[in-house]
Amino acid sequence: MHIGFLVNPIAGMGGAVGLKGTDGLIEEAKSRGAQPCSGERACQTLSLLKDSGIHLLTCSGAMGEESAINAGFIDYEVVYKYFGESTSQDTENAVKEFIQKNIDIIVFCGGDGTARDILKIVGRNVPLLGIPAGVKMYSAIFAIDPVEASNILLESSTILYHDAEVIDVDEEAYRRGELVTHLFGYARVPYVPEKIQAAKSVFESQDEDRAKEEIAAFIVELIRDDTLYILGAGTTIETIAKKIGVEKTLLGVDVLKGRTLVARDANEQILLELINKESRVKIIISPIGAQGFILGRGSQQISPNVIKKVGISNMIIVATPYKLSKTPVLYVDSGDPTVNTAFGDYTQVISGYRIAQRKRIYLPKH
Amino acid sequence: MKTKIILDEEQMPKKWYNIQADLRTPLDPVLHPKTQKPVTPDDLSVIFPMELIKQEVSQQRFIDIPEEVRDILRLWRPSPLYRAERLEKFLKTPAKIYFKWEGVSPPGSHKPNTSVPQAYYNMKEGITRIATETGAGQWGSALAFATSLFGLKCTVYMVRSSYAQKPYRKSMMQVWGAECIPSPSVKTQSGKAALEKDPDTTGSLGLAISEAVEDAATHNDTNYSLGSVLNHVCMHQTVIGIEAREQLAMVDEYPDVIIGCVGGGSNFAGISFPFAGDMITGKHPNVKLIAVEPSACPTLTKGLYAYDFGDVAGLAPILKMYTLGHDFIPPAIHAGGLRYHGDSPIVSKLVHERVMEAVAYHQSEVFEAAQTFARTEGIIVAPETAHAVKATIDEAIKCKKTGEAKVILFNNSGHGNFDMSAYDAFYQGKLVDYEYPADLIKESLAHLPKI
Repeated sequence: MHIGFLVNPIAGMGGAVGLKGTDGLIEEAKSRGAQPCSGERACQTLSLLKDSGIHLLTCSGAMGEESAINAGFIDYEVVYKYFGESTSQDTENAVKEFIQKNIDIIVFCGGDGTARDILKIVGRNVPLLGIPAGVKMYSAIFAIDPVEASNILLESSTILYHDAEVIDVDEEAYRRGELVTHLFGYARVPYVPEKIQAAKSVFESQDEDRAKEEIAAFIVELIRDDTLYILGAGTTIETIAKKIGVEKTLLGVDVLKGRTLVARDANEQILLELINKESRVKIIISPIGAQGFILGRGSQQISPNVIKKVGISNMIIVATPYKLSKTPVLYVDSGDPTVNTAFGDYTQVISGYRIAQRKRIYLPKH
Repeated sequence: MKTKIILDEEQMPKKWYNIQADLRTPLDPVLHPKTQKPVTPDDLSVIFPMELIKQEVSQQRFIDIPEEVRDILRLWRPSPLYRAERLEKFLKTPAKIYFKWEGVSPPGSHKPNTSVPQAYYNMKEGITRIATETGAGQWGSALAFATSLFGLKCTVYMVRSSYAQKPYRKSMMQVWGAECIPSPSVKTQSGKAALEKDPDTTGSLGLAISEAVEDAATHNDTNYSLGSVLNHVCMHQTVIGIEAREQLAMVDEYPDVIIGCVGGGSNFAGISFPFAGDMITGKHPNVKLIAVEPSACPTLTKGLYAYDFGDVAGLAPILKMYTLGHDFIPPAIHAGGLRYHGDSPIVSKLVHERVMEAVAYHQSEVFEAAQTFARTEGIIVAPETAHAVKATIDEAIKCKKTGEAKVILFNNSGHGNFDMSAYDAFYQGKLVDYEYPADLIKESLAHLPKI
């Protein structure tokens, strides 16, 4: 296996000194005494991979080579050199080099910002795996820790891929204590199906693509011509739309009347106008991000006003069993406490063909 | 106070109780899957022995248990009735909790109460092999046990998810000389069709029934045997309730609440029918009979009371019952024995007429209850039985609130010694609380045969 490996040397530095992110603030972080930490985390992963026959393509110095040397990793080559302080431009350039060399996967050590820079270049064409080192990691593409990252890579013969959200957090707002997030895109992320003794999970559509097909097969049976459907973001919803026969925007909110597309990438205003004309409206959404937000992260167009008009009982929440297994609770943060609490303690999530799961709802405290 | 109330061997019932004699109105007829006309004994004789067909439709209140059958039942019957005093104390409830312990049978559940007579009647009528299906493996091992005693061959189609989950159930069947095949299999047309449609299917009880019925119908020496649902199966299980009534009478009690878990309905029928009879005939009109099912497969609480096929392929007779639709494949919960889309027509009718009631629970709360039971009474129950335990605890807690000293009886239908992987999943926090999206599925029930 050929891995494109890069470290964002400054990732995580802002966090330790209370900056809630390091983008554009590296000098400030340093003056507050921040120490780099990502290189060490990258080294942990590499030290577990050094005898695995993996070939590493990486960047010079702190962007990768140092971690490889410290880990005692021998089979590596430097394909990108940077000078001075590394920037997001260096990340993008390095990724372009990796792609030219036909790597199998890109492994990076950083946070949400690094993930965005990489995704911009590779899209869903090359799989990504994050070793967590950033301040903010709302994206669902990170292994739990450096050790798990190495385990996933060592299990390459049984690896499956799922689509995971890369989340864009507004750093300015974040420093003010507000969490404003946008869905930035989807990456292909490897994971190892759980091998628990109760062989049950083997059967439970560990295969994400199959699970999405099953969910879609069920939802399609419910589509009625007299009903307006507001479709949220994400690849599960995309699969549903495909099965209905419409092309959906991956990150936007689209609207169908029956099986006909009536609005693409609709904003709150358009949604409200369309809802006002209809008597029967359903919202179909999927949880977003590593934490499993069903509202308030990534699809703010589906606002409290929209939800109040449609009614919570007309919301259909869908998610694959894998996604649900990673999110013990679902979060609701619509921005309106009355909407949040209206969900109650539990909600039903469609997770397969005629199958649902009961999930606990967690309301973040404001 | 006695912990165990034990009957002498000779007090074991000599007759089964047939509740059909006491129903307010007769059952709706069973229909032929092809003609959709009422089935005749001849139709059924392709897969069942005549004696069981007679029992299926009999209106006679009591039916003799053959001496050869009683001889074998004596290996573990009469089963003990326990007072669950430690559980009562733990719950601080004024209620008195009793349970009938059916896990003492060799295969470990209530199932041999019917597998033994079924094997016996087949043997009497010259059949040499029996085909059947099994969900969690309890029925399959019970029939393997019974057929081995009568020198019959036995083929068990075991739902694939359970085959993988519970390998030791398969081993038990082998010990008793039975052949155990994961379903769907390539041995039958129904199995092949299912695999073609979806090679990775988990299988379902409804599908395994199709395979076993097809096997029996296409082999002259082979009959089919069903471990639940049918009237004669429910009747064979009434030894449980008849004994329990005797045992409670020995300590001057009569139950106020009777509880059992329901997949196809036979263990609940076994404990409840004798008391339901008392209720219908006015002897004890104020008993509460509670059927407990999983939220993942809530046939009685969310299903439709209608005619439906008993199996996926539409080979088995059409029954009037509560159903989630014969093409519904329930999620792979650990209580595999409760994953059936339909229910006993008699239990269904009694729930429909409100003689009985039904409740549904999620997996994790059910395992919580089973843990409480194991830590107070010692017995680690099967995941299926754990549903009855959960309802029992809830009823006892209600008594605590109202201060009523009700007598609660539940059927402890089997042990969970082969279900440790399920308990493991519980302790790892990996149990998924499946539910049935009833509102969204209503449309799928449009696939029921139109009658």
